[in-house]
Amino acid sequence: MKKALIIFSTLFLIANTNAQEKSLPNIEVKTLKGKTFNIQDLDNEGSPMVMSFWATWCKPCKKELNAIAEVYEDWQDETGVKLIAISIDDSRSMSKVAPYVNSSDWEYEIYLDQNSDLKRAMGVSTVPHTFLINGNGKIVWNHKGYIDGDEEKLFEEIQNLVSK
Amino acid sequence: MRKFIPIIVFAFIFSSCEVIEGPYMSDSVNPIDTTTNNYVKNILIEDFTGHLCKNCPDAASELEAIQSVYGSQIIGLAIHSGTTFARSYPIDPVSNPDDKFIYDFRTMWGEELDVFFEVSENGLPKGMINRSDYNSSGDHRKDFGQWSSIVADELDKEVKFGIDIEVIQNSNMPSDQFDIIINSEAVSNVQNNHKLVVCITENNITNWQKDGDIDNPTYTHKHVLRSFLTPTWGDDLSSEEINIGDSFSNAYTIVISDLEDFNIEHSENTLTLGNGNSGGWDLSNLYVLAYIYDISNYEILQVEEKSLF
Amino acid sequence: MGMKKNYLKKYKTLFRNNMKIRFVIFLLTFFALSSYSQNSGQISGDFSLNLQSYVEDEAINAQAADEVILNNAFLNLLYSNKNLTIGLRYESYLNALLDYDSEFRGNGIPYRFATYTIDGLEITAGNFYEQFGSGLIFRSYEEKGLGIDNSMDGIRLKYKLGKGINIKSFVGKSRTYFTYAEGIFRGADLEVDINESFNFENETKYIIGSSFISRYEERSNPIFEIPQNVAAYSGRLNIISGGWNYFGEYAHKINDPINSLQESEMNYASGNAFTSSITYSQRGFGVTAEMHRVDNMLFLSERERTGKAYIMNYIPTLSKPHAYTLLAIYPCATQAMGELGIQLDVFYKFKKGTPLGGKYGTKVNFNFSRINGLEGGNSMLNDNIDFSPKLFDFSQELYFSDINLEINKKINKQISYNAVFANQTYNKDFLEGKTPGEYGTINSTIAVLDLSYKIKKGHTIRFETQALFAKQLETATNDEEGDWLMGLVEYTISPNWFFAFQDMYNYGNENESKRLHYTNINIGYLKGSTRFEIGYGKKREGIFCVGGVCKLVPSSNGLNLSITSSF
Repeated sequence: MKKALIIFSTLFLIANTNAQEKSLPNIEVKTLKGKTFNIQDLDNEGSPMVMSFWATWCKPCKKELNAIAEVYEDWQDETGVKLIAISIDDSRSMSKVAPYVNSSDWEYEIYLDQNSDLKRAMGVSTVPHTFLINGNGKIVWNHKGYIDGDEEKLFEEIQNLVSK
Repeated sequence: MRKFIPIIVFAFIFSSCEVIEGPYMSDSVNPIDTTTNNYVKNILIEDFTGHLCKNCPDAASELEAIQSVYGSQIIGLAIHSGTTFARSYPIDPVSNPDDKFIYDFRTMWGEELDVFFEVSENGLPKGMINRSDYNSSGDHRKDFGQWSSIVADELDKEVKFGIDIEVIQNSNMPSDQFDIIINSEAVSNVQNNHKLVVCITENNITNWQKDGDIDNPTYTHKHVLRSFLTPTWGDDLSSEEINIGDSFSNAYTIVISDLEDFNIEHSENTLTLGNGNSGGWDLSNLYVLAYIYDISNYEILQVEEKSLF
Repeated sequence: MGMKKNYLKKYKTLFRNNMKIRFVIFLLTFFALSSYSQNSGQISGDFSLNLQSYVEDEAINAQAADEVILNNAFLNLLYSNKNLTIGLRYESYLNALLDYDSEFRGNGIPYRFATYTIDGLEITAGNFYEQFGSGLIFRSYEEKGLGIDNSMDGIRLKYKLGKGINIKSFVGKSRTYFTYAEGIFRGADLEVDINESFNFENETKYIIGSSFISRYEERSNPIFEIPQNVAAYSGRLNIISGGWNYFGEYAHKINDPINSLQESEMNYASGNAFTSSITYSQRGFGVTAEMHRVDNMLFLSERERTGKAYIMNYIPTLSKPHAYTLLAIYPCATQAMGELGIQLDVFYKFKKGTPLGGKYGTKVNFNFSRINGLEGGNSMLNDNIDFSPKLFDFSQELYFSDINLEINKKINKQISYNAVFANQTYNKDFLEGKTPGEYGTINSTIAVLDLSYKIKKGHTIRFETQALFAKQLETATNDEEGDWLMGLVEYTISPNWFFAFQDMYNYGNENESKRLHYTNINIGYLKGSTRFEIGYGKKREGIFCVGGVCKLVPSSNGLNLSITSSF
């Protein structure tokens, strides 16, 4: 009974709020240079942003970000998109984020979410989880998991957003 | 002002720290209060254990340490339980030439208690102190480091029953037959239903035990549960409502060799990985243990112990 | 004291009985807020359901559950409006999956909080997760996979004292299952970004931090003096300059004996831990070297309790977290009571167009780690013993070592692969709490080849082959499982479907009746932020770890359904 209640109320809440586009939460993360950064300050001068949650120990995450890295320049030229990679590595593997990112030639903006504050605030239960944010800083699309080829679908969404 | 609140909180927090300099043993041991009526509150520590459990001797020695502080008010009951920790190794000169762990300490009643209270499945050693906290949000299975403080709490509780054990053996009885009479008395107002459980324990059994990193062949197993004379969940004290001052008498006749045979048969035919090696009881080390518990929350209100001789 | 306890118990019972009422109040609040939110706030959350059926399988020693089907589920709800965030989590364990502690039982809202921020002051009331530094003295976190959630319940303040100066402080109790552990925690943390706060224009950045934690537990002991307030503190330093990054932290915990009456159990020694890492990276190359030493540093929310639910600090494990199954059969778990470890990681990318780099470049990661015990175990101090182990002694008993190389390469537009070669040494007797000589130390050599082939747009097939060759380094009473083979075929159709079949085969088990296959089939469907997965198969009994915290997963056979979704 209680479970039915919670499912119904959830559906109700979703129905009630789905219409609005969500903004980014008021959460602080860290840059690789140790600076504190409020995620609401993300800005790409009116162009869309992709926010991808990942970790150095997560195979599909690295697959996704490496696949995008290959076409990232083309994406940027065409749509002006910027990719924000949020590492959820904890103190065990955090020291490997910078070496991994640099050695992989990633051009992304990297942030560390060591205490999983941002992860929780954005309802991310498993990684990878990718969000598309429009030029006004609103979340317009999101996707759980990564399957080879998913980056093409993501790019279609970015193109749709830009052509709107 | 707002600016200072966190700073003040911050400063406060640093004041909480107690480094203790030796000697660590304090010399004042508080004597136990003697209560107003004839009975003192006794505490039953049910120590769930197993000869394959390497940390269990730590719990057994904690029990002894508690007994050395509080004396005869603390009564121990070692319940060897669970397949993981208490199974017997096969008697086999090839795979087990030293006859390690071939004894089966388990009993039908111990296994039933273990399953009901879900003890060994969550890892041993664990104990129950008068079965407190069974019906509360706390965990009734206590780690041995918790025992002494719970014992101290339990000793503060009101005495509700008195128990007196009488062991009778006439010259016309076989040497291992006994009449056991449990006389009990309600010394305080009691509301719920209560039952009486009587069992037999054996003290100082020398046998194998995993003790830390060694397999000790001459470990002394203390107050080991051997048998129940009542059903697992006890006998009624009275068919009527109990009032203060009421006294009761429950009588049992036992033949030790029959109890022994029952365990051997049970180990052989019923227990997982049992081998029937449950005999060899030493009459002179046997004790009668009786306790009264509240059936609404399983709490043990009084316990008493007496040697068969 | 008895009175107080009774009162507490009554309160707890009341709290429990009123679950329904509390639940309804929360829902009403949310409804009210959600209608209010039409113009300002927003609601988000996520949901997860995990159902597993269990059938008995004697061959692999899998138990059937009495309930036939077990269930773990939770739903997070978050409402945020400008400076205010309110959240709760409803959890349901009816009954918990067999690999969870059975204390997770029933339904409830064990997590609810409200946070608001004003003029740089952030106030949280209710549950929160927090970590000081790298967690050596305090980490409150959740890890669903392990069944760990030691969220705090209390009050937390965070404040920006000035440019680059942040302080945090809290009081609270820590969650264990559906209740709270006895210890009351008070904590504070200060972090100063030197460059920012002193307007220090410099290429090199310095960040220093310091934390303090104190736990109160009411204790009395007729024989021994017992500290009721036990404190731990730490200091840390982070220097970042160009491609270099140094992080070091030292933590100290004062005497924290358990409440025993036996002298041999009473340990008044203080604990300490030191961790240090240095990183250098530049385009195409990165290296990380780390070490730590831990002595008597287990900090519990109730000092007499055993079990991971009570652990309040976190000593990061110095080994690579492996993602492939056979590489994780013998995992490393941190020994908070005492260990000494080192780790080295090298990342390198062979450039495009070079002989080793090929058309797309080749990435390699070399990793080495080694963890050993301290001389004579951990520090011990009471009236009869005063012992501290040597500071640095790598000659002591080996707990774990791992040397491995991972190569990641894209050959052409269709084919890419990932290969790993590893050699691990695992002290099973010690790490799994067995008697020395029972299983001994196991050395395993592992090879993994993970090959992806893109058939056409959106369609990819992936093959994973893994082999593990194990040997016991000394004669032991019991045989270990021996050699393993594993194969996996996965077919994915972007963006929605995946199908996977895998088989693990313990072909090298000394015991022929245990040369078993563990087969699994999984089908998943992903759409946007929702994921459905259904699987059927057998799981091997084993140790499952996240971040060096491990649990024993029993073998099982059955059907599994999982749904996760966020909104």
